[in-house]
Amino acid sequence: MDPFDDDRLLAELGAAMRGAAQVPARFVEVGKSAFAFRGVSAEIAALTHDSAGAALAGTRAESAALRSLTFVAGAVAIELEITADALVGQVVPPRSGEIELVGPTGPIATTGVDDVGWFALRPAPTGPVRLHLRTADGESIHTEWTTL
Amino acid sequence: MRDDPTVVALVDRARDGDRAAWDEIVERYAPLVWSVCQRFRLAPADVDDVGAIVWLRLVERLDSIREPAVLPGWLATTTRRECLNLVRVRSRYTDLDDDLRDDTGPASDHRLLAEERHVALRAAFADLSEQCQQLLALLFRDPPTPYATISATMGLPVGGIGPNRQRCLEKLRASAQLAALLDTATEGR
Repeated sequence: MDPFDDDRLLAELGAAMRGAAQVPARFVEVGKSAFAFRGVSAEIAALTHDSAGAALAGTRAESAALRSLTFVAGAVAIELEITADALVGQVVPPRSGEIELVGPTGPIATTGVDDVGWFALRPAPTGPVRLHLRTADGESIHTEWTTL
Repeated sequence: MRDDPTVVALVDRARDGDRAAWDEIVERYAPLVWSVCQRFRLAPADVDDVGAIVWLRLVERLDSIREPAVLPGWLATTTRRECLNLVRVRSRYTDLDDDLRDDTGPASDHRLLAEERHVALRAAFADLSEQCQQLLALLFRDPPTPYATISATMGLPVGGIGPNRQRCLEKLRASAQLAALLDTATEGR
C-alpha cells in the first residue's frame, strides 16, 4: 500500500499551504531584513554561559541579577548581568573603549567602557540584541545575537 | 537522503551576497521556524524575537555551514533552543513543564521530517502550472470544494476533474526534492 496515495498527498499539500498561510508577513520580513547584517567582519564572541539556560532556580536569590551571560572571543570575555533596570557588564581582562548595543534594525545605544572594563546600559534592553565592543587599542568584537 | 539541491544552491548564492537567494531561503523556511515556535507557549512578540534571532544567527553563520543540506535541521534546533531560552527567561527560571523539556527523540525527528515535507510540497506546488495550482487549491480546501463549483469556476467538465486532479498530483510528485521526502515517509511506516 502506498502511504502517499493521491488522497493523502492532497491532504498533506493542503496542510502545508494552510501552515504557511498562518505565518504573519512581518515574521517573514524580519527574517529577510537580517541579511543587512551579512558581512560583519569583526570577531564574533560566542555565548559560553547563560544563567537562563542553566538550572539555577535555587541560587537566584543570592544576586540582584536576573540573568548573567558570558561571551568569549579569544582571550577577551564580555560578562553581562541583567538587573531590573540595567544591563551592566565588564570586559575581562579590563580594557577601555566603547560598547554599542545593536538590535535587528540597527544600533540602539552606545556607552563608554571605563578603565576597569565596566559599562552600563539603561534601561535594560529586551528582545534580540548583540553588543559591539570597540576597544581603545582598536580591537572590534561582536557578541553572538541573544534574546534578552 | 534529505539532500535538496535547491537549498544548496540558495545557500551558495546567499553566501556570495545574493539578497534574492536569502529572501527565498527565508520564504521557504519561515513556516518551519514559525511552526516550531507554536509548540511553545510564547507571546506573539516573543515568537517574533525568536524568528529574528534565528535568521540573524544564520546570516552570521552562512560562511561556516559546510553542508547546506542540514539547514532545515539546524533551523529547527536553533528555533527550539531559542524558544526554550525565552520560556525560561519569561518564567523567571521556574521549572519547565516536562512536555517542553522533552524535545528530542523520535517524535521530534518525525515532526522535522513532516515540516521538511511541507517545505518541499510548497516548493513543488509553486512550480506547477497555474491551472493545476487553481484546481488543487480548490480540492485541498477544508471542506473540499464541490465538483460542481470547481466545474463552474474553472470551466472544466465535472468528468474532467478527476483525471486532471490525478495529472496535477503526478506532476507534484515528480518534483525531485519532494520525491526524496515521500520515500522517507514510506520507510518510516
